[in-house]
Amino acid sequence: MTDTILVTGAGGVGKTTVAAALGIKAARAGLRTLVVTVDPAQRLASALGVEELGNEPQPHRDEPHLWAAMLDASASWRAVAVRHADPEVATRLADNEFFQAASEHFPASQAYAAADQAATYVQAQAWDLVVVDTPPSSGGIDFFTAPAQMADLVGGRLLRWLTGGPLPGRKFLFNRAGRPMLRLAGSILGSDLLERVAEFLVDLRTTYDGVAHRGRQIEAIMKAASILVVTTSDPAPVREAIRFYRELPKLASTPTSVVFNRILPPEWANVEIPPGTPPELASNMEQWSAESTKQQDTRDEFEARYEASVATIAWSPSTPSDIDGLAGLLDSAEGIPWDALQIDVAS
Amino acid sequence: MLEKRLLIVSGKGGVGKSAVSAALALMAQRHGLRVLAMEMGGVGGLSAHFGTGPLEFEPREIRPGLHAMRMDRSDALLEFLSNQLNIKTVSRFGPMARAFDALATTAPGIREILTIGKAVWEVNADRWDVVVADGPPTGQIGSFLRAPKTIKELVPSGRIRDEADMMADLLADEPKTRIVLVTLPEELPTTETMETLEWLRTEGLVPEPFLVANRTLAELSDAGTPEGPIGDAAQLHRSLWSGQQEWIAKLKTDIQLPYLFGLFTPGEVAARICDEFEASI
Repeated sequence: MTDTILVTGAGGVGKTTVAAALGIKAARAGLRTLVVTVDPAQRLASALGVEELGNEPQPHRDEPHLWAAMLDASASWRAVAVRHADPEVATRLADNEFFQAASEHFPASQAYAAADQAATYVQAQAWDLVVVDTPPSSGGIDFFTAPAQMADLVGGRLLRWLTGGPLPGRKFLFNRAGRPMLRLAGSILGSDLLERVAEFLVDLRTTYDGVAHRGRQIEAIMKAASILVVTTSDPAPVREAIRFYRELPKLASTPTSVVFNRILPPEWANVEIPPGTPPELASNMEQWSAESTKQQDTRDEFEARYEASVATIAWSPSTPSDIDGLAGLLDSAEGIPWDALQIDVAS
Repeated sequence: MLEKRLLIVSGKGGVGKSAVSAALALMAQRHGLRVLAMEMGGVGGLSAHFGTGPLEFEPREIRPGLHAMRMDRSDALLEFLSNQLNIKTVSRFGPMARAFDALATTAPGIREILTIGKAVWEVNADRWDVVVADGPPTGQIGSFLRAPKTIKELVPSGRIRDEADMMADLLADEPKTRIVLVTLPEELPTTETMETLEWLRTEGLVPEPFLVANRTLAELSDAGTPEGPIGDAAQLHRSLWSGQQEWIAKLKTDIQLPYLFGLFTPGEVAARICDEFEASI
């Protein structure tokens, strides 16, 4: 049985660092652990022992229970075509300009590719734990909605309307002159464009059953996973974290915890400044006191309003650049739900 | 900056792009300009900084002279269709509108051109002195700015093609358009900003962007490090500051906005950034 932890949150809050640190703690607690990331910072990638993009998990050179993979979203997307389409269609799709463009532009494509690949690791049953750092593409919620969006895309409303049926053959393309809607559309968009899009969609449509089936598998894995929402105390990422707390119970499950990163010591909120303190140090302290107060108020409000289990990670001036530094990040953390995550850190 | 007709603000997620967009719109409004602020990317960012409820596609006056709206692909599409087809309501063409909506999700460039197109149309409509767009994140800005070109490559003829020509012209118009890139003095935002700048130069689609470094710390003089929290806070500040300097050195920014300690309503944040812009521009 492979457990899954999905680490999510807004961009720039240290989500990847937290996912990596969790993975290391789990590996050191004896769990065979795979950390899956998308586009990590260079130092972090080095610390995890992955230097190149690739879907093949790399064992860590020093940590016997740790593997890491740095997803290549475009490769994963091509894998969708290969997996779900006939070989001939898959080749045609991979060469199709719309397919290429869609893989770059369709907002959920990167998220879908990552979710699909992460699910593949979980199903491989080769690890005790898979920790997934969700991709930062347009709002992390994409990761959770991607399977359904993908099925909707290939099951295309446009296509159903164009063809009038659920599984069209290619011949409808030659039979469209009688459709006034298509003539009208053609005059606006250019008829050639419409035809090429339709051709692409017909090919994509043949993958529908596979993609829909796969989407249900991915959703089942998400529903069974633990979710950690990472945020800082700034308004924008907190707003994003709130969104996860509101929407994830419907899409997957209620988050296990919200993890506030870059936290100042709470006692900084009230520091008495002794006489004789150099004025620049005094005013510096006042600034950080205000910040500490803001952080605490933000946490208290989150906890009260969303009945959330709250964890905190201390603000470290630099991102740890090696594996011990990463593990150390969580040593000072408070409230990480180790029991719920079934990671035995005491051992 | 205030003489531009179109400001498109972008940046990596989490750098304060919406706050900067709101601040620029507020500054223009303070100077008596007629402003349209447009929420293009993530939902809710801009409206939070204005302290208004959720925005809608139809611009709403939220302060005297300042209107705000939210870009909505389906609404923009309906607007486009009714303009192009010269009919009052497209709703009776419901199936057609839905089909175009699906097409807009799938075909490259359509979603982007509707979004960029809406901003360009608003500029050309002459209802506003300046349109401030809280744009897509830098990861996607390329496909938006390139959309007119993509359309020109894919669409040999048709009315969308003509629109694309007009949009490309406005985006490249130096006196009228400016891209504002927001970044943080940290590794990932700096790297992504450098990549974006490089891409923008190679493609030559828009004039050189205005670069904003957000949340920069001021240097703290070496007045000792006493035992206890005062010394700890000084030490944290100094090491964060020197970490930031490493990244600041890599980019030539047009303005450095200070780290805002202790402010936690988005409205306060936008007002403070607006003051900073006023002071420096």
